Amino acid sequence: MGYRAENLLRLLKAAAPTLLGLFGVIILALPIRLFEGAVPTPIIPLVVVFFWSIYGPDYLPPLSVFFIGLLQDLLTGGPIGLWAAVYLVAQFIALSQRPYFLGREQKVVWIGFVLAAAGSSLILWLVMSLMSGVLLPVRALLFQMLATVMIYPVFAAAFSELHRRVLVEV
Amino acid sequence: MGRRANSRFVLILLFLVSALLLLSSLYSAQASVFKKAREGVIDAASPVLALLSGPISYFNDVVGTVSDYFNVLEQNKALREENAELRQWMDEALALQEIVVAYEGLQTYQAPPEAQPIDAFVIGEANDAFARSMIVNAGRAQNVESGQAVVGENGLVGRIVDTGSKASRVLLLTDIQSRVPVYVEGADIEGILVGKTRGEPVISFTNSAEPAEVSPGQRVLTSGAGGVLPRGLPVGLIESQRRDDIIVDLYTNYARTRMVRIINYEFPGIETNSDPADNQTGDEPPAPAEG
Repeated sequence: MGYRAENLLRLLKAAAPTLLGLFGVIILALPIRLFEGAVPTPIIPLVVVFFWSIYGPDYLPPLSVFFIGLLQDLLTGGPIGLWAAVYLVAQFIALSQRPYFLGREQKVVWIGFVLAAAGSSLILWLVMSLMSGVLLPVRALLFQMLATVMIYPVFAAAFSELHRRVLVEV
Repeated sequence: MGRRANSRFVLILLFLVSALLLLSSLYSAQASVFKKAREGVIDAASPVLALLSGPISYFNDVVGTVSDYFNVLEQNKALREENAELRQWMDEALALQEIVVAYEGLQTYQAPPEAQPIDAFVIGEANDAFARSMIVNAGRAQNVESGQAVVGENGLVGRIVDTGSKASRVLLLTDIQSRVPVYVEGADIEGILVGKTRGEPVISFTNSAEPAEVSPGQRVLTSGAGGVLPRGLPVGLIESQRRDDIIVDLYTNYARTRMVRIINYEFPGIETNSDPADNQTGDEPPAPAEG
């Protein structure tokens, strides 16, 4: 393998979590409508942000998180900066609890994710209620967060394989 | 350790930037920079969305047909009943058509201004708990403009809010920001249909001071007030009434909306170009009489 190809590969590995996060945003913007729209699309970027903030913060710097959130704001047509702020808060929560979570069982980390998702939901609900002038119904948000929490173990397992076998491999 | 602290600092800095952006979009939701950015992103993402939404709609169709097998008998029964009902309506429509033809003969009937529909596919959707919108694959290149009405096969879907060059965003009637002037057929009630993010929007700010009297099943149509949407687009049926709010059951099923039609409608209005000419010819005769 040439020097240039090797460099490209290294770049791709370093950017993989960011690209996954951006791809998660694209998935959120697709008309997936599982079971006639009864099941909300899980917020995969939140999983990406949380996972890499715990297991490889160097692979997902705050700037990447900011741009993932910004893309989501622009694509969903909501207020600009909202999802960027939400993901950054999720990253902050993950980073601050990182020493505790490292080396723990997946179940424990999962509970950590539930807390991060709850914190994110609270910000989302508060800001959107403030902007619309009424207290918004929380059901749709709860369902979507629930879907995200349910898929977390599956995605975390896949991300962990990717991280250990491909990204960190020297 | 220093690098970690640095990263933490960047994180907080970016959070402040986001909060600032959020605050500025609070005060100027339609700021042109943000609008441009949104439209640019829709445009840039539309090829990817179009590419990915193809297989998704195929998959949805397959899943849909599988679940249809389970209630095919019920559906058949319902369809037969509906068919019988529609036959009655057809008779009535034919009778009405004759009357229309008669009126047209008398030349008292004026056809509504021509609307040029633009057909488009739904390629994206905001899967967000609070934002309800769709992205369709038609934009400025197809003469789509902000404010235009979007209808599905059953009724009004929403209206265009952002237009890219080849894709645009449709704000759905259920979005918290959606406001559409409507009237209730046969009840002499005009009002504004307000989105509530939940399933069904409500009519509020009606024109009557007293609580409006409506009965479930009455049709709700666009009123055309404000001149942005044409009058008479079907919106839904009245479901129930709770104090001041009239809950509307939309005709459109957003989970099944695949193809939409954007209505390129221009308010007939007062023709400002021809008016001065008319006035001149009208004014001229008196002028010499005075002089």
